[in-house]
Amino acid sequence: MKVRGSKELLEEIIGSGLCVYCGACSGGCPYLAPYKGRVVLLHNCALSQGQCYQYCPQTYTDMDELSQQIFGVPYGQDEIGVARETLLARSTNAEIREKGQDGGVVTTILSLALDEGLIDCAVTSRMSVDKTPAGFLARNQEELLKCSTTSYEASPVLEAYNRIPKQSTEKLGVVGLPCQVRALAKMKAYPPENRVNVNNIKLVVGIFCGWALLPAEFHQFLTENYDLSQVVKFDIPHHPEHTFDVYTKSGKKSIEINEVRKFINPACSYCPDMVAEFADISVGSGRHKYKGWNTVIVRTKTGAELMELAKAKAALECQPLPDENLINLKQAALRKKKRALANIVAKTGSKKNLLYLGVSPALVNKLLT
Amino acid sequence: MRTLSKDPLNLIIAGVGGQGNVVMSLLIGNALVRQGYCVGVGDTFGASQRGGSVASHIRISDHTHYSSLIPSGHADIIVSLEPVEALRILGQFGNPDVVTITNVRPVYPPAVVSGLATYPDIDELLKAIKKLSARLETVNATDEAIKLGNPIFTNVIMMGALIGSGLLPLDKKSLEPILQEYFPKVFDMNMIAFNKGMELIGKG
Amino acid sequence: MPRIDIDAPGTSVLLLGNEAIARGALEAGVAFASSYPGNPSSEILETIVTVATERNIHAEWSVNEKVALEAAAGASFAGIRAMASMKQNGLNVASDFVSNLVMTGVGKGLVLVVCDDPGSLSSSSELDTRNLCKWMDIPLLEPSNSQEAKDMTKWAFDLSEELGTICMVHSVSRISHTRTNVKLGELPKTENKAYFTDIYDINKPGRGKFTTIAGPAELHNQLHQKLARALDKFESSPFNQYTGPDKAELLVITSGACVAYSAEAIAELKLENKVGVLKLGTTWPLPEKFVEKQLARSQKVLFVEEVDPFIERSVMELAANLPADSPHLTFYGKRSGHIRQYADLNPDLAANAIANIMGITYCPRDVHYDEEATELAKASPLRSLELCPGCPHRGTFWAIKEALRLDGRDGFAIGDVGCYSLGGFRSGYYQCRISNVMGSGAGISNGMGNLRQFGFDQPVIAVCGDSTFYHASVPALISAVYNKANFILMILDNSATAMTGFQPHPGTGKNAMGEITNIVDMETLCRSLGAHVDVCDSFDIKNTIATLLRLMAEGDGSKVVVMRHECELLRARREKKRPYQVHVDPDKCIGEACGCDRLCTREFGCPGLIWDKEAGKSKIDESVCSGCGLCVDVCPQGAIIKEAV
Repeated sequence: MKVRGSKELLEEIIGSGLCVYCGACSGGCPYLAPYKGRVVLLHNCALSQGQCYQYCPQTYTDMDELSQQIFGVPYGQDEIGVARETLLARSTNAEIREKGQDGGVVTTILSLALDEGLIDCAVTSRMSVDKTPAGFLARNQEELLKCSTTSYEASPVLEAYNRIPKQSTEKLGVVGLPCQVRALAKMKAYPPENRVNVNNIKLVVGIFCGWALLPAEFHQFLTENYDLSQVVKFDIPHHPEHTFDVYTKSGKKSIEINEVRKFINPACSYCPDMVAEFADISVGSGRHKYKGWNTVIVRTKTGAELMELAKAKAALECQPLPDENLINLKQAALRKKKRALANIVAKTGSKKNLLYLGVSPALVNKLLT
Repeated sequence: MRTLSKDPLNLIIAGVGGQGNVVMSLLIGNALVRQGYCVGVGDTFGASQRGGSVASHIRISDHTHYSSLIPSGHADIIVSLEPVEALRILGQFGNPDVVTITNVRPVYPPAVVSGLATYPDIDELLKAIKKLSARLETVNATDEAIKLGNPIFTNVIMMGALIGSGLLPLDKKSLEPILQEYFPKVFDMNMIAFNKGMELIGKG
Repeated sequence: MPRIDIDAPGTSVLLLGNEAIARGALEAGVAFASSYPGNPSSEILETIVTVATERNIHAEWSVNEKVALEAAAGASFAGIRAMASMKQNGLNVASDFVSNLVMTGVGKGLVLVVCDDPGSLSSSSELDTRNLCKWMDIPLLEPSNSQEAKDMTKWAFDLSEELGTICMVHSVSRISHTRTNVKLGELPKTENKAYFTDIYDINKPGRGKFTTIAGPAELHNQLHQKLARALDKFESSPFNQYTGPDKAELLVITSGACVAYSAEAIAELKLENKVGVLKLGTTWPLPEKFVEKQLARSQKVLFVEEVDPFIERSVMELAANLPADSPHLTFYGKRSGHIRQYADLNPDLAANAIANIMGITYCPRDVHYDEEATELAKASPLRSLELCPGCPHRGTFWAIKEALRLDGRDGFAIGDVGCYSLGGFRSGYYQCRISNVMGSGAGISNGMGNLRQFGFDQPVIAVCGDSTFYHASVPALISAVYNKANFILMILDNSATAMTGFQPHPGTGKNAMGEITNIVDMETLCRSLGAHVDVCDSFDIKNTIATLLRLMAEGDGSKVVVMRHECELLRARREKKRPYQVHVDPDKCIGEACGCDRLCTREFGCPGLIWDKEAGKSKIDESVCSGCGLCVDVCPQGAIIKEAV
């Protein structure tokens, strides 16, 4: 792939409605900064090639290359990516469960990894008092708990990672959406220069994602309708429910989901990855009767070892993922892939131009039928 | 009163805003008036002091008051606190008989530093200055000033070099009382710098 | 440094035109001098300040030129000789009062000194203020060197008293800032007593002499009579002189700085026997009889004057009324295109014009040399005006740039006059998109703050200096609060009127004499007007950005941000040493690599930072760096190190 610079990043991605606000381009230099849902160019960078362009998950990505590097197999063999194990799990810690989105699995495994010294620091997303999400470095369970639950908005977590001083030797665990996990995979494939050593990342936890909301616009909508300092949690219960729930200290308010869909980032419609295929462990919410549990996909040896540790330490309560759930999960993941491919081809007008997606023509045809 | 080698004798002191042109021209102008000459000193004041090119025109005559601006091509002596300014002045005011004394330390305009303009190679620059002058004396004034403890002495060193060159009807004795009057608190340091300048031009 | 009040009549000293004007005022017994800093006039008041205590003179920096002239008029009305000095733009500010002053007349001698800046070396506009004298009927004197600057200023006080009206001495940069020999005159030993005589007389009630409402037309008539008396004096003034052959092939009529240029040009061209120079020093009202006589010397007349064809037109008016049988005159000057109607002049331009009319070529130097020199000199890069190393405005404009980029609504800044005018240049990152006169930034942005109904939502940041704030921005702030304009005003408080020479102002706590005085506290003033006030340190870029973002996001209201940090040149003068020793660690500097792309030397642009192309690293130029350490916070790699000295 031809690596270009910030000028092209701004033209091809940010200015073309493809930016997913993941933060991969920012934090490593003084030129790009995420702010209120936009990536801003603060000063002119004259370089014709830059790491901003190189690691952006929306610039050309050879999915096979990444898959081979992490898993040793080509991309696209399974709808949900490489899966050593799929299961349902939830934290055995009542506080983590209470404060968590679903089962508190992400907080638990990060907390465990910190306790065991597998990582020194977790790079994750945290909401401020007014519920604006941003990258945050958590170094213990108390700090991790502050990061629990999601805003459903895009959060530029990778900017916080890029800002870690380059001489730092802290072992890192990074939590991200599928686009962020993809960016990390690109960084591991082409290690960055003049930044923190990418080999410091010992663990990547991916979060299932259908879409993310535009931070500025959705935030504006929320501020107009709610006192955000009173909000405790947001949740989108699964289909056939059709609400976006806002939990405040005094109760729950539900918004019709189509009111919220207006704020979906259009860039998300070109994303085929629902389950963060390049992570060590991917985590999503349990469905229906498994409300309060997480669906977990373990992908790599690192992920498997951590899961075993969690089970051994009884940090997690686990049960097998029922067949029905697995089937639904795969169908949902496949639907997202197909939709993405169709949207990409509709945008470019050609099967040969898949924007950033480097996948084999055979896979393209398969997904377009 | 010593006789002028030429009447009027036209001296230009060039440099970059902030280097101390105006002080130099003030001191030399006053020294000349004390010697009984008709003197005109024209400075660029104001905004150019903020990093722009500055030049003081000094007209020296036995009997006539000339305008403060030297006509094109009529400089007799050019003293420059910065090498590219020497070339710039020669471009407009030089002639085959001009004598140039210049400091060799460049002051880079930020346009050059940022990459929007180029500063000539220093050897090429000095060659061009030499080509356009009947005689060229180079002085490492900034480095010497830094050795003395502060780059601010650059202009006093250059003044010493100018007086030491013998081109003006002035000597050290004509400058001492002026330096004492205008900058009494730093007289000793200034004299060290002044003497250094005279030494560097070969007369100290 | 020798004092301006040395009691040695007849000695010759080297004086700046402005110093000479001050000396002339002293020789006339001036006792009240007021001014506002403005290049090229500032040195006049500064010179008087140096002897004000000993000579019992009240010398002040007024808050603006209107007040300065009003204050001087007050002294004049109360029997004290007074002088107000200012630059061209200042005259505009004072002109409303001038138009009344000429109606009321003066008490004791009142002299107005105006210093123009042809070529706009340090001005935001180019103006020929001589025109005001024609417009408002003011006797006008134009000195051509420092000696005349002194002599004319001295005479102007007598003239003002004899005529009973204000007189103007008109200088330009090349006169004000040129040093030439001046033979000193005597200094008077007068006692000055102030008393206003025209108080209400219960026995003979009547209108005050110095009032103008309802009746200026008659006063205007009286003014014309005063000018007729001025004309009489000017007809025989020694300041108007002809030099040259009895009959000349060309008559050059000139004034001010151009007198010397014309004389030198004629000498250069060796035309002393063919071209004569009529030097005019009293140029309004024009001494018509005298000029008429000189016009008879030649049939060709060239006007050499700067900027406007002021004398040219006056003489043409005169010529139009010459008897029908007078020899035909051909005029050359601005109308004919021989002399440009803008920018300053020099001996070359005068020589070119004269040579052209006389049909000869002017060759200032050897042609081959000329070609070579011009060619070689092309290699000299141009120097733009730059904020000094250590200037707090650099931090302010860097913060404004980033804050506006982050805000993302196409915001912009508006500046006006001062060092911070460089906010519109590369040095200030081109942030100020509009820039006019003192205080206009606040005025314009307060107007833009009331365009909501037209869909305007771009954040506008007005930037003004501390001295400018007191001078002109306060009324705009009042107007903004009163008219509910959405308004952010950043006052760049560097504790000085810096661009003009670090003069004090009402916020500094010191007056022109260096005495401690009342401080007009900026924050208190703004709050009392109803504005919300924040105070930031220009060197704390992060905090400034956060403050600006908050204020821009808040929407409506009148907001003031005081950016407080002392001017670096002031600090350096006082402390005589640098706060830090700054250097770049070449191991940490990544130069042009991704992650920096030499931000410091390519974008930040402090003159103290240079780029070592061979090494691929940035470096501190120790002969330029002020040691302020601001760049340390800008370097993304922490490669710039500052160590306390």
